[in-house]
Amino acid sequence: MEILEYARPQNTDEAFRLIREQHGTAIGGAAWLRTNTKTIALGVDLAGLGLEYVREAGDHIEIGAMTTYRELETSRLLKARFGALFEATVGHVVGIQLRNIITVGGTVAGRYGFSDLNTTLCALGARAVFHPGRAVDLADFIEKGAEGPFLLEKILLPASVRAAYQQMRISRNDFPILNTTSAWTGSGWRIAVGARPAAARLCREAMALLGNDPHPSDEKIVAAARAAARELQFGSDIRASAEYRRDILPVLIRRALTEVRG
Amino acid sequence: MNITLHINGKEQPVECRAGEMLTDVLRRSGYAEVKRGCDTGNCGACTVLVDGAPVLSCSYLAVRADGREITTIQGLAEEAKKFAEFLTAEGADQCGFCAPGFALTVLSMKEELSDPDEAEIRHYLAGNLCRCSGYEGQIRAIKKYLEAKHAQ
Repeated sequence: MEILEYARPQNTDEAFRLIREQHGTAIGGAAWLRTNTKTIALGVDLAGLGLEYVREAGDHIEIGAMTTYRELETSRLLKARFGALFEATVGHVVGIQLRNIITVGGTVAGRYGFSDLNTTLCALGARAVFHPGRAVDLADFIEKGAEGPFLLEKILLPASVRAAYQQMRISRNDFPILNTTSAWTGSGWRIAVGARPAAARLCREAMALLGNDPHPSDEKIVAAARAAARELQFGSDIRASAEYRRDILPVLIRRALTEVRG
Repeated sequence: MNITLHINGKEQPVECRAGEMLTDVLRRSGYAEVKRGCDTGNCGACTVLVDGAPVLSCSYLAVRADGREITTIQGLAEEAKKFAEFLTAEGADQCGFCAPGFALTVLSMKEELSDPDEAEIRHYLAGNLCRCSGYEGQIRAIKKYLEAKHAQ
């Protein structure tokens, strides 16, 4: 990766101006720049914007775009609200040294297929807030992207969701073969699946099948897990075939739903 | 670009390109103890501490380190030497290429976790790969090193 010009703005207005008017490329954690062969004309480093935080805001939790995975993993607030969910979601990502670099914003903005975090954020019903204050459904953004230049400022999480994450990897440091998060929002179920190997998607048919019953039967859980495997598309790559992914998904979803239901 | 790094307590002005990673700048500046391993953010050989937190210098933009405190294994040489005695005693230090990054992560863990069990040790060190040892000797060495530190 080559960056021809570099800027480190000190406020979000200036950062967004550079991105929108001078075609700047936002630089989040920059963890994957090394393996990228692109040339960036203007790199806009978001490190000086004060977007590193996990905090309560009314009935939501706000996570700044430059918050690192390690901060998610060790956040007492997230642990108090979601138990071990974030530790389980990002704790398998390579090592602590890389998790001290990778940012939430970089992951969401990149809409990476291999992402563990985007799957959990989609299931939680997170919203992505773009400068200057436009909030959109994060699952929609992961699916469709944004029109035109954008600056992601923070993620909003509903604070009272119960969720569980499941994944399969060949080895600890590898990208996931498949991952899934199931969540009970208080009024319905949400199930997201990522690393198909394409990006995370909600399983709307499976969610509808579970309805608004917080304690679905084992049979209903199995039926929803199978429905999710039918409704999604899967691909093959060096880690696993599409058929393998489709076969193991119901098992992972059943485990996650059962964990949340209790 | 001209930036100023604070490496092992010393201020050092360096020149770098905007997209250059910290590993390259450190090695060019004479810090050869920062190893270039996989160069893709997986092996942990290039670990340094930035403001006390372990990061992979191969995946950390050098310009972001401007004005920050960087610690290589030479900056913690005295403590690293004590830890190395435990590695040697357990037959865990073989080719040694991973050792600087590995030792830095262990020393960082010692500061962050008060009394880690084996699962926590393995979790903390998952980003440091060693192709020689099989890790068992290293785990024994870490446990004995931490026990010795607690006994002090």
